[in-house]
Amino acid sequence: MAHIPLQNLTIGKFHEGLLKKEFSALEIAEAYFGEIKERDGKIGAYLSANEEEALRQAEAVDVSLAEGDEIGLLAGVPLAIKDNILIKGQPATAASKILKNYVASYDAGVIQKLKAEKAVFLGKTNLDEFAMGSSTENSAFKITRNPHDLERVAGGSSGGSAAAVAANLALGALGSDTGGSIREPAAFCGVVGFKPTYGAVSRSGLIAMASSLDQIGPLAKTAEDAAIIFNAIRGRDPLDATSADGPNGSDKKILEPEFEKIKNLVVGVPEEYFVEGVSEEVKKCVETARKTIESMGVKFKKISLPHTKYTLSCYYIIVPAEVSSNLARFDGIRYARIAHNARTNAGGTRNNAEKIQRDSALSPRMSALEEIYFRQRGRGFGAEAKRRIILGTFVLSSGYYDAYYKKAQQVRSIIKNDFENAFRDVDVIFAPTTPGTAFKIGEKTSDPLAMYLEDIFTVPVNLAGLPSLSLPVREKPARQSLGAGGKEGMPVGFQLIGRQWKDHEILGLGQYYERATAPDLY
Amino acid sequence: MKSNIDKKTLEYLAELSRIKLDAREEEKLLKDLQKILDYFEELKSLDTSGVEPTRPPSTSSIAKSGAVSGGTELKNAFREDEERINTNRGDGVDAFPETENGFLKVPPVFE
Repeated sequence: MAHIPLQNLTIGKFHEGLLKKEFSALEIAEAYFGEIKERDGKIGAYLSANEEEALRQAEAVDVSLAEGDEIGLLAGVPLAIKDNILIKGQPATAASKILKNYVASYDAGVIQKLKAEKAVFLGKTNLDEFAMGSSTENSAFKITRNPHDLERVAGGSSGGSAAAVAANLALGALGSDTGGSIREPAAFCGVVGFKPTYGAVSRSGLIAMASSLDQIGPLAKTAEDAAIIFNAIRGRDPLDATSADGPNGSDKKILEPEFEKIKNLVVGVPEEYFVEGVSEEVKKCVETARKTIESMGVKFKKISLPHTKYTLSCYYIIVPAEVSSNLARFDGIRYARIAHNARTNAGGTRNNAEKIQRDSALSPRMSALEEIYFRQRGRGFGAEAKRRIILGTFVLSSGYYDAYYKKAQQVRSIIKNDFENAFRDVDVIFAPTTPGTAFKIGEKTSDPLAMYLEDIFTVPVNLAGLPSLSLPVREKPARQSLGAGGKEGMPVGFQLIGRQWKDHEILGLGQYYERATAPDLY
Repeated sequence: MKSNIDKKTLEYLAELSRIKLDAREEEKLLKDLQKILDYFEELKSLDTSGVEPTRPPSTSSIAKSGAVSGGTELKNAFREDEERINTNRGDGVDAFPETENGFLKVPPVFE
């Protein structure tokens, strides 16, 4: 088998190569597993691999090609799937001890759609436990390292998916984004991350964190690849009542952007996103990208999103509130159980309850059933999950509900309104994805607030239900002047935020920028 | 009025959440939660009187007209009332940690 360079491979090039018989789908899948075996030990992108089934899926694509069947753009494309998305028969741990032994009994809506496209699933990727975090250090199983610098975080919570794409351990990936969990790791790892309009993609089979904000989306090498994956997974699913076909148009609008129209979009730059706290490196790189897009004929305009500073407080009240409710289902009885703890004995005799050791710290009147809940949840959830469940219980409790939860939902309306006002003047909003680049492992783990601040520019988008595309700054001169001795610094990302259901506009603008700055990938 | 969270409140919240905490966890949580609640104080400087709260998508259909809904603007997203696949049989049962003859097995809970 000829050496297959994975570095500049994109979904489009893969599809072409497959049709021209330059390689087979099986050869490419095998090449990716070779890379995973050789290099993922150091990076830690994957929690589980799915080699046997993946190779079977790839072979089936080769067979249908040989038989002269027409195949779609995603046929045989090797993808990595975040481990909070269900694939039937495979583990889905959400990187939590409480789901360590859980095997999914059905396919998520997005997986059904990708299976219909004959995509290949290489394995499940690491994340912060239940997608709570911005660094993938909160995984119960391992840390995912940034492929550009192994001492630094990959970002999170979709850190495994971002690292897999960045290190050529997958051609594309799925992640989920509640407050930046696709875009922030994409920015940190130098890949493209797309958070679709809320409701554009089914959440059926996504292990829920905060249901009014969660959205599945692609991580990929290019905006074009992200558009191809998005187009395959979008649309109404009867198993998610919040999903919709939406007015975001046809396959053609998403897959074949009209650059002559895209060029006429007016882009707004919010002053509140270029303030103190944003690193010089990020400011400089993002400005370089802005100038490039401007030089290509796109008009920029200053705008204001005046309530940006209230975003994090609002978000970190609403999210824990929804978390405390969503994670109540993990009771230690369904899904999975933690070993040697309150199990039924082989004979199923009734006196099992007596064998459970009484804990004097807990109420003496607690039933055996309650003891199971307390112990399983106490041992099964990590620190951040516990913090959010308890904080959420607090902000929803009587006496505090109005001061916190209701207030936060009012602020959410105000933030949403900010965007609505801005979109009267502009079509797209341009902003940095994160205030800084990937930080050192361990730098922010002890202080939850410091970690929360990473999300400041990504969270508003979720509160307002908007689509946003994070792209790496591609200009070489800007990148090289930053690192020591002319070496490239860590990747920097910027985001293009669109109106609700205008996903195709930002995906198109992203491609317009990439065609000028990353010709190797087109 | 600033909200403070004390050990007693935390223990009560942990009980409501069905989570057993050890002493070390309690101490760290108490500090973290207080810091987070102090951060939330900034919201008080924003006047929200008369602002309609965003409704979660699931209740948007019953929200007062003019209310802002979270996520999509979908209303009354009902499905047809017809028979569907039932995951409590077959794969759904197989996925349960312990089963016997198609029944779900749970730890005994009566004393």
